[in-house]
Amino acid sequence: MTSFDVVEAGLAVATARAATPLLWALLGETLGQRAGVVNLGTEGQMLIGAATAFGVTSASGSPWLGFVAGAFAGVTLSSLHAAMCLRFRANQFASGLAVWMIGFGLSSYLGDKLVGESITGFRELGATRFGARLPFIAHVTPTTLLGFAATLGLGLFLYRTRSGLTLRAVGESRAAARAAGVRVDLVQALALLAGGALSGAGGAVLSIDYAQTWAEGMTQGRGLVAVGLVIVARWNPYLALPAALLFGGAEALVLRLQSAGSDSSAHLLHMLPYLTALFVLVVSCLRKTHTTAPAELRTVLER
Amino acid sequence: MKSVLALGAAPSAVGELGAWRRLTAPNSALMTLLKTILLFGAASALLFACLKRSPWLAFQTLWQGSFGSGFALSETLVKAGPVLFCALATSLPARLGLVSVGAEGQLVAGSITGTAAVLALGDVRKVVLLPVMLLAGALGGAAYGALAGALRARLRVNETIGTLLLNYLPPLLVVYLVYGPWKDPNSLGWPATISFPDGARFASYFGTRVHAGIALGVVVTLTAHVLLVRTRWGSELALLREGPLLARRAGLSFERAVLWVMALGGAIAGVAGMIETSVLESRLQAGIGTGAGYAGFLVAFLARRDLRLVLPVTLVVAGLGAAGDNLQLNLELPSSITHVLEGLLFAATLVARGSTTKQEEAS
Repeated sequence: MTSFDVVEAGLAVATARAATPLLWALLGETLGQRAGVVNLGTEGQMLIGAATAFGVTSASGSPWLGFVAGAFAGVTLSSLHAAMCLRFRANQFASGLAVWMIGFGLSSYLGDKLVGESITGFRELGATRFGARLPFIAHVTPTTLLGFAATLGLGLFLYRTRSGLTLRAVGESRAAARAAGVRVDLVQALALLAGGALSGAGGAVLSIDYAQTWAEGMTQGRGLVAVGLVIVARWNPYLALPAALLFGGAEALVLRLQSAGSDSSAHLLHMLPYLTALFVLVVSCLRKTHTTAPAELRTVLER
Repeated sequence: MKSVLALGAAPSAVGELGAWRRLTAPNSALMTLLKTILLFGAASALLFACLKRSPWLAFQTLWQGSFGSGFALSETLVKAGPVLFCALATSLPARLGLVSVGAEGQLVAGSITGTAAVLALGDVRKVVLLPVMLLAGALGGAAYGALAGALRARLRVNETIGTLLLNYLPPLLVVYLVYGPWKDPNSLGWPATISFPDGARFASYFGTRVHAGIALGVVVTLTAHVLLVRTRWGSELALLREGPLLARRAGLSFERAVLWVMALGGAIAGVAGMIETSVLESRLQAGIGTGAGYAGFLVAFLARRDLRLVLPVTLVVAGLGAAGDNLQLNLELPSSITHVLEGLLFAATLVARGSTTKQEEAS
């Protein structure tokens, strides 16, 4: 196993790999918000996904099994958010925070015995016959390529299928969709569960692929950044990709600068990814993106 | 909202029987509270059973670790301090209908500016240093709260998402400061500032860690309650929340009110940050105040609009946190389980209130 070295790899590769966990979570949050539900629990779902995936990979030796287990853990936790928001009409922000707390606590509990364990994560594609000759692809792992594919898949689903149209219609107006005979609660629940799978997968990528270790609270706000970046990406899965790459680029840049000089100001650099996310969020709010927001979401985001 | 008010209102016209009916109506505050307790009890019992621990033993341990002895109670009070301040920092913006989760970051921001004041003033008398330090903490928290407020008021950045992202910056600034410019040269590599002079320390009482900062929290709570219930400003906030159009006709500015409540809430959280810094380690180091902001949010959400309720609810939530060590000692559960319990309490409340509103809609 060769643990991934951000500094040795090219900046494009480092950016893509740092962005991949966020990309998965961002796609998941996009799906939920397109259906009209904000999910701050994405942070907790990533954490539980990360801990579960790391535990399963460590026990079974298969990162693929861990990846799938992480996605399942994300689904389980997101079902709680779906139940509270849809069945019990809870405030979406409050429900998301509750899910985050539970996810943080449970993942710390599950991960307690995993601290310091080492695993064999995904291999770089260069090690396979498929990617050996390709310049960029040789240095990324399957999860990055799968993430790109998921972006395309989600875009096609939302904009080119009848189900995607239904989902967007629910996000625009629950009342109108219900009048048209759509089972709106079911659609929103399915969107949240699928979003849970994607964010759980994002957590899995973080622990078994990018970091190849487990640490308590290791997502460090990536799930919350995802909630903000969905707005920046205007609820469009295709734009989620550049948004994730922006954050990943900031992260890769920080690690690169940090290794160049090792004085205390390196700690200051860690703010850069968050500042980047905040900055683009503020700019996108300046440009009145809320007019492009799913209308049901506007009742949540702007009261 | 009516259901909450019903508990406090005098049942003069309705008579004894009417009051009893109102208390036991499915949508009354009392019934919602009972539902919450039952749901939380069931969910946490299930959790402990899943972790192969006896729920009964776990509940006993929780009680012993929070209120079961004088020592436990004192530790609960110590935990309650920052949670109380952070609950207020959440409740004030909630008066305008804002969902601010920024107490966590504001608390740390206050600990930074307060520490700056201590480091600048050095060893001066307590009557000077303590107030200046707290004021500096308040200003730092207020500025940070106002920043999120300005983003909301001027640029329409959703305050929940804004405050959540802003929470990640101050802790990183603390790490930078204690590894860099503020590092104690004699600390042998341990990243922290110098120990504070005596003038910047709170006295503790009864041979426990209980300190005056907790009493200050109670005073601030009651002051804020009076401010909101008895003053014109409090009514203006209520009007801005319930009838924005009418409020605008009356010449009230929502934007200005957002800045004020966020700054005031931030100031309260900032004071908490400085108290915690002074009380726990008497120096600034990484990891200050972790989780108090979110526990405070939970308290504010449970207590709803009545700030007096914040006091008992804070004790319950802080008790859960304080019992974490006991769970570790007696049941060998990591203390992170207390976060799960907090989350379950939160979820139980949401479900209990949700099932209540459903019945309201049906009737």
